[in-house]
Amino acid sequence: MGWLVWGLGLALAFGLPGATWRASAPPVFPWHTVGPTLLAITSMALGAPLLAWIGGPPLTRQRPLALLEAPPDLLWAALVLALWPAAWGPPELSGWLVAFLAASLPGEVRWLAQAMPTEYPFPLAWGASAVKRVRRLVLMRLWGRWLAARLPIWLTATLVLERVLGVPGLGTDWMTRVSVRDRAGLTLWVLGLALLWTLSQVLDRDLA
Amino acid sequence: MKWRLMCLATLLLPDLALDPFRGGLAASLRHPLGTDDLGRDALLRLSLAAIRSLGFASACALLALALGLLLAWQGRRFIGAWSALRSLPPLLFVLPLSLAVGGLSAWPLGLLLGLLIAPHLEPALRHRMDHLRHSPAWAAERTLGAPWNSILRRWWPWGWQQAAALFPSAWISALWGEATLSALGLGPGPGHDSLGRLLAEELPRLSSDPSPLGWAALFSVLLLAWTSVPRPTV
Repeated sequence: MGWLVWGLGLALAFGLPGATWRASAPPVFPWHTVGPTLLAITSMALGAPLLAWIGGPPLTRQRPLALLEAPPDLLWAALVLALWPAAWGPPELSGWLVAFLAASLPGEVRWLAQAMPTEYPFPLAWGASAVKRVRRLVLMRLWGRWLAARLPIWLTATLVLERVLGVPGLGTDWMTRVSVRDRAGLTLWVLGLALLWTLSQVLDRDLA
Repeated sequence: MKWRLMCLATLLLPDLALDPFRGGLAASLRHPLGTDDLGRDALLRLSLAAIRSLGFASACALLALALGLLLAWQGRRFIGAWSALRSLPPLLFVLPLSLAVGGLSAWPLGLLLGLLIAPHLEPALRHRMDHLRHSPAWAAERTLGAPWNSILRRWWPWGWQQAAALFPSAWISALWGEATLSALGLGPGPGHDSLGRLLAEELPRLSSDPSPLGWAALFSVLLLAWTSVPRPTV
């Protein structure tokens, strides 16, 4: 049934209705942002599990983490814009990276902490080293499923941050292809998102 | 949930009067945050925009809840489809769509947000529905053939309690969805003043010449975000 929805999405991407009043060429894929994007994803893919490993399931009850997670991506972008020192020039990719990590990291740490099993009475009773070992094993099992499930959310976050900070990236690419009706490019995007969904479903089943 | 529903009434509030000759006044006792470019008192405008955003989010959340209930009650066969729809955040759809059609006005945007938030409420609603469906009390209602109005009367408090538990998450999604879209200049036009619309005006100034209104708008967003965080239960 899920694949039917993705099939409809593909059909919609192929036959996207409407046309721009002036024909415009599809945008060139922003290859120059692939490096910073990979850096952001790697920072997140390593940073969030590391924090979840240190804090464990009790992090879900941490109010400061919930307060950091609550503001929308928009607020982080606006704060970077407002507080960025003028002497450093406009907040380009470095500003975007700071805003991205501030907007997404707390939520991801909480997501991982929530997905971890409770540690009381075991492995807590076995001592700190057993707790750390169990957390490491759980996080290693969760890692792939977490990445597949959360990448579309990160794409949304980066889309908002890119628009506010004026830094074109992957989010802007997705958005521009819709606005110029680049059907081939959109189809690739939808296929990528469908692949992520399939991957998260398969890994979910494995975890269960 | 009650105060959020009360905000619905704010959608009927009239706009503030424009007075372009008094635009851009600095903060004073009479105007604590100054006036905006069109001469409206900035504090009054911020309050009105924020409360209207809350009202709009309440309307979207109500719609999402009603649609989610429908999906949970009748759409059991399409669970895979709802899962696929849930894998994409609503804004990932709405932002490009709005750019493609040159901005969405208030009611289509509300409808779209409601439609896209509903699948996210479906699993929690289905879980609650399953509890109800498998309860002996419900089996008795069905066996005795109780009329719908009496069923509704008896089960209304339970339904309200369940809705109240899920309403805040739908509400906050709708609130930030509308605020983000408006702040990026892709939301409803100037006729629909909201927190996001205010941010759209203030964002370009933030890096060079931030005004008290811009800071107050950011502070309001932060305050709304923090007040929406549920209190820890002991």
